Amino acid sequence: MVKLLINIGLIIDRYHLEKKVSEFLRYIGTIAKVSIYLEEDYLLDYSNFDFKEDIFFVKAKGDLVLNLVKLIERETDIPVINSSKGIWLAYNRFLNSTLLRQSGILVPNFTLNAKGLLPPFNDYIIKNIIDQKNYAFSPKIQRINGYLNIADQRALDEVNGEKAKYTYLYYQEFIKSKWEYKVYCIGDNLFYYKQLPILVNPDKMKTRRKIDKIPELKEITLKALKTIRLKISSLDFLRSKEGEFFLTDINSSPNFNYIKNGPKVIGDYLIKQAKN
Amino acid sequence: MKIGILSKRTGNFTGKIKLYLEKIGHSVNIYTASNLCINDALLVSDFYILKSKHLFYLYAGYFLEANNVPVIPSTDISYQHKNRIESYFSIKNTGLLLPNVFMGTIDTLKSQLKKTDLPLISKPIFGSGSKGVKVINSFQDFNSITEESFYLEKFIEGTHYLAYFIDEEICICEKKPLANEHDKVKIIVSDGEIEEYIIKWKDKYNLLFGHLDLVRDNNTDKLFVVDAGTFPEFSNWKHSSEPVSKVCNLILDRYQHIVNKTE
Repeated sequence: MVKLLINIGLIIDRYHLEKKVSEFLRYIGTIAKVSIYLEEDYLLDYSNFDFKEDIFFVKAKGDLVLNLVKLIERETDIPVINSSKGIWLAYNRFLNSTLLRQSGILVPNFTLNAKGLLPPFNDYIIKNIIDQKNYAFSPKIQRINGYLNIADQRALDEVNGEKAKYTYLYYQEFIKSKWEYKVYCIGDNLFYYKQLPILVNPDKMKTRRKIDKIPELKEITLKALKTIRLKISSLDFLRSKEGEFFLTDINSSPNFNYIKNGPKVIGDYLIKQAKN
Repeated sequence: MKIGILSKRTGNFTGKIKLYLEKIGHSVNIYTASNLCINDALLVSDFYILKSKHLFYLYAGYFLEANNVPVIPSTDISYQHKNRIESYFSIKNTGLLLPNVFMGTIDTLKSQLKKTDLPLISKPIFGSGSKGVKVINSFQDFNSITEESFYLEKFIEGTHYLAYFIDEEICICEKKPLANEHDKVKIIVSDGEIEEYIIKWKDKYNLLFGHLDLVRDNNTDKLFVVDAGTFPEFSNWKHSSEPVSKVCNLILDRYQHIVNKTE
């Protein structure tokens, strides 16, 4: 009897297709049939949801992609990794901070303030409201009256720039930490790293090193994934001088090329999660 | 009680709500884009009224609910009825007819849509009412559009209606195509099918008040829902009972119901 190949739909944007998935495609092409749904040239027609795939893998987070995922989720029983809700919560910083804190996970203090109103803490970092586009963090660092005020240029432009989109800013309390901890998650497989914080050394890969499992990080990570409804993710943590881990960022579209055999681990995980 | 109102304006219907609630003994604060800070300092009121559905106010709603402060109407329902795609599924799940939807980049839409798909109507993905709405009659009409990606609905030529509801009362108006809520309308005494749509919609999402925009197709006589709103201004509410006190009393009852349920 001929074994049929699993059919994987890859929902992706041009940036990720050209820069991030060549090894994954090389590997997955040997064990599955892959159909590519490219954000830049896909016509989303809500009367047409006759998809033949056994699983969809999402490697983008634009509006069009998110709404295609919603159509698949609402009209079919095909698994999608990650879910539209997970992607939406991950790029909405304020919402994920709110939900993570509600579920008992330690996150830095945060506030969303009308423009011109300062936060109720002294050392802070201003981050963009919606972390949806591909962009490198560009920090503006100031010391005012001895307090550290950091702002991502993109966040400031979204409020004060020519094409301002918002009238409010997201502030996160700054946590001083010697290392930034990063946990990559592919299902139940967790991979632990640490590196110097990006504000100390902007070349994050230069100081990154693999570390042994930290049970406390594992527990927080699994709880966070359940709260935000993500299956594949990367999470950033800072450790305060009291030794507590604060979850500072959660990403629904991590670069799995940084993990040893990452493309294979992802591919094998998707095959296991596929329908039937 | 201490009541907060999340609203982009302090006047209009919001202002009237504040006056009414203060008149019956409550303390009311309005939070707008110039004074809203969403953090623990907001947890001082007994409950909040979510009048505006811009993202800033929805964030406040989600934050308050996560901290066990009731928000009326509920934040999730307000978001689902404001986001066009969520609204599409809400209407579909109620079993009501609605026009087909397309999304894509401008280049994709120009190259892949068929002539028979026209006319279409473009709308902001996050919005309600007629703001930012444009009819696309030909492929050339796409040339004046600057957005990266784009939400389109099949444009239905027919008679347009605005149907309000507050509790059991329904007010149906005929309006000009693409006119906003405040434009002149003609009152319709009764329309059984529209009333049936409203009751289904209201019951499905346990709504106290709101509105639907509908179009009856000239060719097929079928009735389509083209927009939904959780908190209109009721500018064209023509019943003898005035809407402010009715809306406020429904909100106060809902709050009491939430409190009783949690006790």
